[in-house]
Amino acid sequence: MTALRGLPGPGGPGPGLGRRIYGFLRSIPTWVLWLLVVLWTIPTLGLFINSFRVRNAQRTTGWWNLRWEDFTLDNYADILAAGSQGGMWRALLSSIAIALPATVIPIAIAAFAAYAFAWIDFKGREWLFIATVSLLAIPTQMSLIPLLRLYTGGGTFTVPFLDKTLTLFPDLDLAGGVASVWLTHTGFALPFAIFLLHNYISSLPKDIFESAVIDGADHFKVFWRLVLPLSVPVLAAFAIFQFLWTYNDYLIAVTMLGAVGENYPATARIASLSGEFGQAEHLLTAGAFLSAVLPIAVFFGLQRYFVTGILAGSVKG
Amino acid sequence: MAIFNWAVNLLMAALVALGAAYLINGGAKGRGLRRVAAVALGLAAGGAALWGSAAVEKLESTARGIVLSILISGLLFIGANKLFDLAPTRWALFRALLGGGGALAVFLLLWGNRAIDQPVLRTALAAAVGAAGGYLLGVVGHKWWRLLIGAGTGAALGILAATGMRSVILVFQLEEGTVELWPVLPNLNYGLLVLLTLLGGAVGYLLRAWRKNGKSLWASIAGWATVGFFLGAWGVPDLGTGQPWEALLAAVGVGLGAGIALGLKPIPDLNARTRLEASSRSYIFIIPALIFIGGTLIYPTLRTLFLSFYDPRGEEPVGFANYSSIFTSANSVDVSGWAGIFGSRLFWAGAAIAVIGTIAAVVIGRRSGYKATFTPGAGGATVLGLFLVCMAAFAALRGTLFNNLWWVLTVTLVTTAAGLAIAVLADRAKNESIAKSLIFMPMAISFVGAGIIWRFMYLARDPSREQTGFLNALWVGLGRLSANPAARTVAVIIVTALALLLIWLAVRAWGAGERAIASGAAVCALPFLWFAFAVLRGIGGVTESASGELIADTVLFVQETPFNNMWLMLVLIWIQTGFSMVIFSAAIKAVPAELIEAARVDGATESQTFWRVTVPQIAPTIGVVVTTLIVLVMKVFDIVKVMTNGNFDTQVIANEMWQRAFTELNFGLGSALAVVLFAAVLPILYLNIRRMQKAAGG
Repeated sequence: MTALRGLPGPGGPGPGLGRRIYGFLRSIPTWVLWLLVVLWTIPTLGLFINSFRVRNAQRTTGWWNLRWEDFTLDNYADILAAGSQGGMWRALLSSIAIALPATVIPIAIAAFAAYAFAWIDFKGREWLFIATVSLLAIPTQMSLIPLLRLYTGGGTFTVPFLDKTLTLFPDLDLAGGVASVWLTHTGFALPFAIFLLHNYISSLPKDIFESAVIDGADHFKVFWRLVLPLSVPVLAAFAIFQFLWTYNDYLIAVTMLGAVGENYPATARIASLSGEFGQAEHLLTAGAFLSAVLPIAVFFGLQRYFVTGILAGSVKG
Repeated sequence: MAIFNWAVNLLMAALVALGAAYLINGGAKGRGLRRVAAVALGLAAGGAALWGSAAVEKLESTARGIVLSILISGLLFIGANKLFDLAPTRWALFRALLGGGGALAVFLLLWGNRAIDQPVLRTALAAAVGAAGGYLLGVVGHKWWRLLIGAGTGAALGILAATGMRSVILVFQLEEGTVELWPVLPNLNYGLLVLLTLLGGAVGYLLRAWRKNGKSLWASIAGWATVGFFLGAWGVPDLGTGQPWEALLAAVGVGLGAGIALGLKPIPDLNARTRLEASSRSYIFIIPALIFIGGTLIYPTLRTLFLSFYDPRGEEPVGFANYSSIFTSANSVDVSGWAGIFGSRLFWAGAAIAVIGTIAAVVIGRRSGYKATFTPGAGGATVLGLFLVCMAAFAALRGTLFNNLWWVLTVTLVTTAAGLAIAVLADRAKNESIAKSLIFMPMAISFVGAGIIWRFMYLARDPSREQTGFLNALWVGLGRLSANPAARTVAVIIVTALALLLIWLAVRAWGAGERAIASGAAVCALPFLWFAFAVLRGIGGVTESASGELIADTVLFVQETPFNNMWLMLVLIWIQTGFSMVIFSAAIKAVPAELIEAARVDGATESQTFWRVTVPQIAPTIGVVVTTLIVLVMKVFDIVKVMTNGNFDTQVIANEMWQRAFTELNFGLGSALAVVLFAAVLPILYLNIRRMQKAAGG
């Protein structure tokens, strides 16, 4: 019997009391686990409960003092409405307006590039791919300052030593608009998207491409009819990762959009609300919860893809 | 415009319907995909329901923007594909489109820089001339005719551009102020012009001769001579001080040269055309991505590097002044408190634990004939001790850079350890997926949202009021319990009884041969005993006032330096533990069951199986998690920005960079900070990319 010691058998060692002791002690890890789960959930739960309590209750008692007369939906109504203390509705729309294109555009661009890197032979393919992937190393902060200047002033090229300035890219006055945020997110997503999609697309079986080419399909047809439908799982994983990344982003939005404006996404809106101590603080709970509703819904609804996306995203710098 | 809006809206609706139908029918191969499609449809339906409300106006325009941009890029993309489809079979048409497009691009650039008069007419004419020239070059095969056509087209384009060039400075009165445009007429330096042209020709000759391919020698010479001429005519001289005929000479020269270079090349045969068509595909597929990457990553990064050597406004170079100010200012590196390390209890406790752990390792190692064996217990104690020593050190060494390092060390270590522990605990628990989901959930919440959630946890109110922050309420409640003799006695008795029960059970289990479980239970009893002792001694947030009344003594989690940093770190740990847990969980499940079985059959205990079989198996995964976390923590920004904005001694590099650059508008220093961050992350990312390449290769 000693050889099998430690096996999670139903019998355990010895009869009667010993077995029950054994069972209890074995379950300690599970108790610890659930204790941790409770600890992990308390912060979110507290916020959630507080967001349904009237202002006075929030200010004077902790959220664990549940009383029916404190219940209210006004916090949500107030923060959703327009106005200096609210505007969450607009901010949530802005968040979606930022996150959706910033998810769709990189996918569209990266899928083509990933296909070319995987299945089209051309000069310099190897090093170009490695160079593209190496760009994962660049932190967002590294390019914020010049990007903002590019968006505010347009792209000009000053010829070295001659002091002549040539306009290459007109000043479209992008800063402050959502388009500047899309462009930035797209650029930052591309190396990662190309890497991820390339890994998947290059692992597709070679035979299907060969038979398609024999049937007279060109690269465009192969890409459209074969590669895209076969890549739906990896596209979904990337889309979810990118959507959450852009929806939850604060740094790029607040940099590109500048001062508080109507294009501010939810993250920036609650951040600016949290800066104004005092009057609006009781609305902050509802605001923070509202901003988290969509990602949490995506998380619970598409958990498997979410996990795949996060796992894949672990290589993103 | 209303009709236009309607059309785009209709198109959008059609696109949504098409996408959904496609996902459900064609693309969907499994239940998960149907779910994606269902969610997409739900979103679309929700969007449609909201369509009428006024608040959606912006969303509508946004959506229209997406559709338009996708349509335009799609048209361009398909257009490029179709264009190159023409190359093998309809060469003349292909060349005509190419010629027209090329002339159009050059004239649009001139137009965009407001360099020519009557831009609409001239650009249209230029496109037509270019297209005609391209078409003729695609059809006519006779050598001399080709030369003539090329030269004629080039000269015509040159005349077209030069006759419209502006000779006076134009001053525009705009809302923002006056805008001066530089006039373009060049003041030619003939010696230099001839020299550069000859130099260009020589380059063309050498390139061709070097490749030992005499076929289009003259075309190469003419092409490169044109490049030289272009530099000599437009690059070197002062623009704006010349005469109109000089501009004419310079423009016609460039056009003529380029036209001759093109005309000298014969019409390529079918093979060459097919090759061109095939190789064009890769570029069509890749170029959009490269343009974006170049514009948003490569150019700005180089520019940041450049700006970091300049003054706040990016005008005067200052050498390494920005960098030296980062590394010498007391804000970023402050070692003045180093002596405080040795005064802290944390340091001595950590050192003692580490020494005990090491001694234990040496003793155990001697017994089995090695120098030192770090068993889980001994190794864990050593690591814990060293960790505490580091905490003490970082609490004394202040400044942004040290603070960032403190973040990296603490969050990485704790998150990895906690994630691994939870993954192991959850591995065989009932309802494993629910537990894991709940711990993983903070990953879905933004850093800003998490910062706000935790601000409510850390809230500290006036001591005379009831505490509404969860942690302070607990702390003060504990203090009141500890100060009340009756409650204290009851609590101590209950907790001690629990501890004794556990110890008794442990003794029984030990007797039954379950050593691992017994020692686990004994370890679990320790916190209970400590708690009983602490309550007896007096713990928690109360102090006695002069009149003998109890007053709450709250912890200012966010304000009390230096350990407020650790409370901020806890927020990131709370978010990221789910991530490391999920990855470890997947890795543990991937350990081959036969390995575990074999170890068990050989008599290994649970803990031996874990440390000797599972951990080595998941070692690469630990590497992935650690490197990912280091990079992520190094760049931490949102949490600090929302919770303290760098006040109370909690500044980190990313927030410092943001403040310098975007609130103080010191772009030089901000750029230098960004470069420091980049340099700090670089080695880790090098490792990551090497690993990715290995994974992709194998």
